[in-house]
Amino acid sequence: MTDTSSITDSPFAPLGVLEEQVVVAVLRTRGEAYGMQARREIERVTGRELSIGAVYATLDRLEAKGLLTSSRVVDDSSSRRLFAVTPEGARALADTRAMRERLWHGVNVRELLALARA
Amino acid sequence: MRAPEDTRLRRSLPRLPMALLRLLLPRAERGEVLADITAEYAEHAARVGRAEARRWLWRQAIHSALPLLGWSWWRGWTGFEPRANAYRPGGSMLRNLFADARYAARRLRARPVYTLVAVLTLGLGIGGTAAVYGIARPLMFQPLPYANASDVATFWMPGWWTEEEFLYLRGNFPGFRAVGAYRPGDVTLRQGDAPARLIPGITTSSELFDVLGAHPFIGRGFQAGDDAQGAEPVALISYGLWQELGGQPSIIGTRLMLDGAPQTVVGVMPRGFWFPDPAVRIWHTKPLDPQGRNGSYTLVGRVAPGGDIRNMGSQVQRLTEMIGERFDYEIGADKTQNATLTPLRDALVGSMRPALVATFVAMGLILLIACANVAALMLGQVEGRASELAVRSALGAGRGRLMQQLVVEAVLVGIGAGLLGAGLAAAGYRVIAGALPIGAWAENASFDWSIFAAALVIAIVAVLLVVLVPAVSLWRGDLRGTLTRARTGGIQGRGGRLERGLVVAEVALAMLIASAAALLVRSVTNLYAIDPGITTQGVAVLDVVSSTGMGSAERQQKVDELVRSLESLPGVRSVGAAMKIPLRGGGDSFGITVEGNPDAARTFTYFRIVTPNYFETLGIKLRGGRAFDASDKPIADDDSTTEMSVVVNEAFVKKYFPDGNAIGRRMGGGFTSPQRVVGVVANVAEAALTDSAAPVRYYLAGQAPWFGNSATFVVRTTRASDAAEVLDAARRTVQQVAPAFAVQGTTTMERVLDTAVGPARQVMSLLTLLSALALVLGAVGIYGVISHFAARRQRDWAIRVALGLPGSRVVTHIVGQGAALVAVGIALGALGTVVLARLLTSLLFGVGTVDPLAFAAASVALFVIGVAAASIPARRAGTVDPALVMREQ
Repeated sequence: MTDTSSITDSPFAPLGVLEEQVVVAVLRTRGEAYGMQARREIERVTGRELSIGAVYATLDRLEAKGLLTSSRVVDDSSSRRLFAVTPEGARALADTRAMRERLWHGVNVRELLALARA
Repeated sequence: MRAPEDTRLRRSLPRLPMALLRLLLPRAERGEVLADITAEYAEHAARVGRAEARRWLWRQAIHSALPLLGWSWWRGWTGFEPRANAYRPGGSMLRNLFADARYAARRLRARPVYTLVAVLTLGLGIGGTAAVYGIARPLMFQPLPYANASDVATFWMPGWWTEEEFLYLRGNFPGFRAVGAYRPGDVTLRQGDAPARLIPGITTSSELFDVLGAHPFIGRGFQAGDDAQGAEPVALISYGLWQELGGQPSIIGTRLMLDGAPQTVVGVMPRGFWFPDPAVRIWHTKPLDPQGRNGSYTLVGRVAPGGDIRNMGSQVQRLTEMIGERFDYEIGADKTQNATLTPLRDALVGSMRPALVATFVAMGLILLIACANVAALMLGQVEGRASELAVRSALGAGRGRLMQQLVVEAVLVGIGAGLLGAGLAAAGYRVIAGALPIGAWAENASFDWSIFAAALVIAIVAVLLVVLVPAVSLWRGDLRGTLTRARTGGIQGRGGRLERGLVVAEVALAMLIASAAALLVRSVTNLYAIDPGITTQGVAVLDVVSSTGMGSAERQQKVDELVRSLESLPGVRSVGAAMKIPLRGGGDSFGITVEGNPDAARTFTYFRIVTPNYFETLGIKLRGGRAFDASDKPIADDDSTTEMSVVVNEAFVKKYFPDGNAIGRRMGGGFTSPQRVVGVVANVAEAALTDSAAPVRYYLAGQAPWFGNSATFVVRTTRASDAAEVLDAARRTVQQVAPAFAVQGTTTMERVLDTAVGPARQVMSLLTLLSALALVLGAVGIYGVISHFAARRQRDWAIRVALGLPGSRVVTHIVGQGAALVAVGIALGALGTVVLARLLTSLLFGVGTVDPLAFAAASVALFVIGVAAASIPARRAGTVDPALVMREQ
């Protein structure tokens, strides 16, 4: 069982669905978290196409809220904006997950799947 | 191998979605995102084929558009800039716009006078133009509330036809599906014991609504037979009157006491319907008389299907033949001549068009002047900021960006001016409507949102105009060169050709308005210089209407009673009454016979029925014989032997008694009793002010029956200034002495003269006001430009003064520059006036469109004001200490 008591009381939780997906994607693509990479990661996992515009707008909003931070990585030919999750972002994500777990607590997944198949 | 494949790939990259993305992405991240997309496109293309990859790119662009736009807006609005972009050039498109707006707002706040002048002048122009547009729209642009109004026309002149002619032609008008006849027919309405009130209306034949293609909103329209002899008269009422009468559908079939007789309401016209003008609230029938010679009907007809009003020559020809065969016409009143059909719109609102167009054009010119003024101010700012702009340009700001700043500043000024203009238009359209010669339309002018919309559109156009000139200057100018020049200075300074061009344009536009106003002033002066033959000062005028049901003897008695009661009011010297007073249109005319002059038999003259003191009250001069007096005894209706006394005017004597001896001569016509001329009075402008003197006979009320249901009382007060004050007491007297009379209106004889002078007077007032405004705006423009001119060349002057040039020469030179600009403007304006003054033709009297005096007056006024405006900065430049200037630079 996940420990749901460790809630950090982040004012930004729960994150919106796309916000949550984007922060998770930034975590998953650690070190490679460009906007395009994050988008592809989400597409890969969810199997749904996602527009660049939506991802960039969300990344910006998250940075403005202080949940992400961006820096510029310059290599020989290009310069790119690289994202990282801030501690505040980590707290918001953890809280969002905890809230979700509590919400799901008591839902019988087996019954749910049976219902879905019916 | 890779390189060619790359090139091929890049070529297959759809351009449009890439361009869309490029446009929407913030500049700082544009390159990297586009590179990623290109890379991913290549992957897609390799995996699933190019067609599918292209579809993918399109989907990306389309789905990204909205979030990216929102993102841009959000960044601009919040000013958020990611840390990663701290050292990257540029922001998003909108972000720049927001930054520019903030910057422009700061700059405008720092220069309150410039901002105020710009917003005020533009606001005035926008507000005025929008208000006049709002007033003109229903008259000139909106469709008339009739079906296919372009198929409807009026016949010959309005108010020219008799019942006899109409009934003779009825049903046989060649080429017309339906023709109706109508004439003014105001009625009194009495409800219970309340005093009678006047309802403006028209009397019409039963075809009218068929001709107009209009249907009542409840009840029925008129039916054939409603106007037949013996039929009960019926009425249709307007939506507004219906509301006042309770707004119940049960009104259909009820009887209203109209003109003292019950009349059945058969229908209510829908809201927004009007005919022939918005003041009319009731349309009613009356039995038409096949022998009715007494007309003043207007004929209005709808052409038969397939017909065209503009192409009715043969039908009109046939019609003139029909009436020519049946009726004998006097020369000058021959309806077989000058037969024309007038499209309904021209007939109803055409007469107001010149005044509206003239005012609209004048307002537009004011707006243009305001635009030129603000453009000149802004141009001055651009030149004043040359160094700043040059530095920014040197630091990498592109011309596009600098231009954007200029536009943003102009847009801010435009928003302010648009708001102010919309407010002014909302507040002032009624004032302007009242000042325009548009009659009942002014009272019915209602504000609607189209005025706001118009103000907005005009503001946008104004901003574009304003920004055009400084933008051109910025585009053409050599920004970086400015830096070096500013350091070294130049003997001649910079050109400022655009600025001078703007001043010339302003003066030319002001000249257009000023000379139009001068033309109208001349025309109106000419009109007032005409002697109407009456003394207008100190005469109050009271129009009353009695019910047609009242017998002429009873009406006569009431009129006498009222004259006596009004004479007993304090401050009143004399009172007269007449069926029709001078300056208000022709009125009734009768055939005439003159003893010893058989030629008179086929002619008609105006006749007037008046009370004894009428001539004295209006100051009509007696030229021979006597006026009516106590020796003229009343004559009973059935008495055809007692002689009637007649007073005639000089024009009458000239026409019918060429030997000049009229007194004592016998004449006839109109009445059965014999008639004898007892006096001759001076000619009076009985019909219109500008008409040549027409023969008139005056009969004494009591000797001649008081027919017609209207009467006008004229009241001369002991002090001329009391004329307007006595009207209230007079109105009360009518209500007490004769409650069956409704007061139709009260005014003064001076106002009657003003009305007779006509639309030119009102347009003149407006244009004079506007030309004053144009002169002020022009002066501001000249002042601003000459100030710049002087400031630019300050160093030049300083050197010359230091070398011994007297300060007065500097002043002369600068004033000369100003005067030259003004002179060129005046010349161009005069040329324009020759073209535009044609708009005024119908408003002019006794003066051509090219009038040297009017031109000279306008030119002198403009020149004096222009030179005065230029002399202020010139004097300042002439008295400056050269040492100070040199040290400053």
